[in-house]
Order: sequence, then structure tokens, then C-alpha cells
Amino acid sequence: MKLIRAEQDQFEFEMRFGEQARMRQLLQRYPLVPASHHRLSRGKIPKRAENQQLLEEALQSQREEHRKQVESLLNEPQRFVQIERGYRATFSRGEIEWLLQVLNDVRIGSWLALGAPEEHPELKPGISAKAVLHLATMDLAAFFEMRFLSAVSGDLPPGQE
Amino acid sequence: MSSHFRDTTLEQDEQTGSSTDLEPGYLVICWNDPVNLMQYVTHVFQVVFGWERKKAEKKMLEVHNDGKSLLTRESLEKAEFYVHQLQKYNLHATLEKNAK
Repeated sequence: MKLIRAEQDQFEFEMRFGEQARMRQLLQRYPLVPASHHRLSRGKIPKRAENQQLLEEALQSQREEHRKQVESLLNEPQRFVQIERGYRATFSRGEIEWLLQVLNDVRIGSWLALGAPEEHPELKPGISAKAVLHLATMDLAAFFEMRFLSAVSGDLPPGQE
Repeated sequence: MSSHFRDTTLEQDEQTGSSTDLEPGYLVICWNDPVNLMQYVTHVFQVVFGWERKKAEKKMLEVHNDGKSLLTRESLEKAEFYVHQLQKYNLHATLEKNAK
């Protein structure tokens, strides 16, 4: 996936057929992290249980909103314009912001499914097919996250990979 | 749903709610984890706090090298707001009462 053009708050990318398919698969997996994964505090704070509940409700509500945004994006006929080698797609800065949250949720959720290991697990003989899927999902999500981050930060000028 | 970060102290509510909650006596802390990308954490700090990249990177490196970083000291309400924002990005952030 390559940034082709960055104008104001619009970012146009070119991606190969396989990359577009992988991105769709990743987005379809959202959400993976349960709202109860996060806790507000490690210590004592006023109305702790009540505030924890509010946090989980806020996260749940945000997940529902992102889920709708993902569904809408995937069903938008003009979003991915087919070209010879793959697709071109334009995303606004705001869209990239929620896409980063969605992709990172899928990455973290896959890491949790692997048992939240301290070290990045390696592919080795005997590893289960499920673990391979989670590992691949983590790495793919990181790939797209880095492409989006490079685009919005200006680190990678358009046309470079 | 998983609830593996819950602990028994969750049940030990402090029902104070005093006027000190309005004072900047709450710390927003970001904890290190082995999964969030360094560039991603920097970006989130820039977006949530409006920091320049240099400051965001410095704070990210504190998290990475020291295991945690104190991001800001706020009133309870504002500290909760920041923790909510950071957790929306799936960063491991909490608020703690300033012991001092």
C-alpha cells in the first residue's frame, strides 16, 4: 500500500489486490477487544465501580459507532476504485483516525487471544493454526497502521514505499 | 466478555466525592505494554493532548524505557476524560490519586 497523494486532509493510497482483500478481512474482524479489558484505575478513586461502569459503557458505545463506520466503508461502492494493479482509495484524516483505532483493536484483540505474551511470538513447528491466524492478523494490522501513520505524520512523502 | 484486569479492590469504593476532586490531584499514567507500536503511541499522545511530536515522543520513550509515564495531573473529571480518550485507542492508561 503506497501513499499516492496527500492534499489538505485527504490521503489517496494505491494498494494491490491482495492488500485490499487483507484490509477488508481485518476490518471485518472488528471489534475484538472487550470493553471490560480496560480499567480506569489501579488505586482507590471516588465511586470507582460507578466510574468503571461509565468507562465500559463509553467504550462499548464507541465500538458500536466504529462498527457502523466500518460496515458503511466496506459497502461504499466508490471507495475502492479498481486500477490495473489493484485499487486506489482516498481517506480523510478523520477516517484514518478511526481506522487506526479499529486496526489497533484488531491487533490488540489478536494479541489477547494469543495469551498476551510479553515477547512477539514466533512461528515455529507445532504452533496451532489459530495462533498462526492471530499472529498474521497482528502483523497485518501493524502494516496498515504504519502506512496510515506515515501518511498523516508526513514521514513518507507521496509516491515512496 | 473477558474481565481479567478486574481485581478485588474494584469493590472497595471510596465514596468521598469531596471538593478535592476538582483540584488537580489526579495523575494520568500510561503504562508500557509489549504490543502497541511506538509510532502509534506517539501519534495518540499528539492527538489526545495536542502535544508537539517532540514532546509526544519523549513521553512515549518514558513509557517504553521506564514502564510508565506520568502524562498529566488534572481534576478527577478531566483525568477521567483523558483516560477514556487513551483507552479508546487501546493504550494502557489509568488515573491515580496523587499521594503527595
